Amino acid sequence: MDYAPAEATTGTGTLPPTPLKILIAGGFGVGKTTMVHTLSEIPPLNTEQEMTELSEGVDDLSAVPDKRTTTVAMDFGRLTVDDSLILYLFGTPGQSRFWFMWDELAAGAVGAVVLVDLRRVDDCFAAIDYFENRGLPFVIAINDFPGTERFDARVVRDALVLKPEVPLMWTDARDGRSGLAALISLVEHALARVAA
Amino acid sequence: MDDHLGPDGSAGGRVVPVYALTRGRTRSSGRDMPIESLVSVTEHGQRSVASLDIEYRRIVELGRRVVSLVEIAFALRVPVGVARVLVSDLAGCGHLVIHAPPPLEANGGPSQELLGRLLDGLRAR
Repeated sequence: MDYAPAEATTGTGTLPPTPLKILIAGGFGVGKTTMVHTLSEIPPLNTEQEMTELSEGVDDLSAVPDKRTTTVAMDFGRLTVDDSLILYLFGTPGQSRFWFMWDELAAGAVGAVVLVDLRRVDDCFAAIDYFENRGLPFVIAINDFPGTERFDARVVRDALVLKPEVPLMWTDARDGRSGLAALISLVEHALARVAA
Repeated sequence: MDDHLGPDGSAGGRVVPVYALTRGRTRSSGRDMPIESLVSVTEHGQRSVASLDIEYRRIVELGRRVVSLVEIAFALRVPVGVARVLVSDLAGCGHLVIHAPPPLEANGGPSQELLGRLLDGLRAR
């Protein structure tokens, strides 16, 4: 397979087309889909990702007739960052039985925005644990649902057992500027970790 | 050119199941072509687009603008594993070039330089 140096086909510019990705994680119904769609420059896309739990390489389906496949809906969006850099946003599948997919999504990612609904704090612990264990940079974005009681940031940090360096912010998943601010905070955090 | 990419004589639209498109091949691992991998068409691909089967033709047409594997899967309404096989076929024949994600730093993430460009780009929006 050709993994050619990109200058052969880009046409404009001298840098190769380069994809980066950020994950939008959190519990079911917390606003992941909304955030991805609000930030994306392409129409809302939702693909049925068929994954198998059998592992690597090219498989011959006829050899494994009872192979189990799982189809799972996955949200994604796209932001053109500059001439050659394209950022993809992936909403992570909510249910824990799809965690085998997270590894593929998380590999090489810039990091993750973990959306939190303060009325259902428990839903985000799985995502926080996952990214902590994996060493992937993440930020916490409290989705400011109308009618949610306001808590002091320190109280929220305690409740989520956050390390002091993890950025925490309030956001509105329906608002593009607000979502963009969360992405910027994540990239700043990732940069600080690389530079450290 | 490879005859398995040649016209199939069908009148357009998919009339066979997706596993027939790939002759039963599938890839369950994204290690060699992550879902965000980008694809663009080559001059050779541009020239030979008319001679391709419908699924391949659509991918080559999509690749006129740099596009990711996951977008191709969505546009064709096939699983990403199937799109991966079809894109590999096209790249193998020189119709497409695959732009893999950037090499990673020791911590498993993108380089400081790339993160800096990403930050500049996001701040400029």
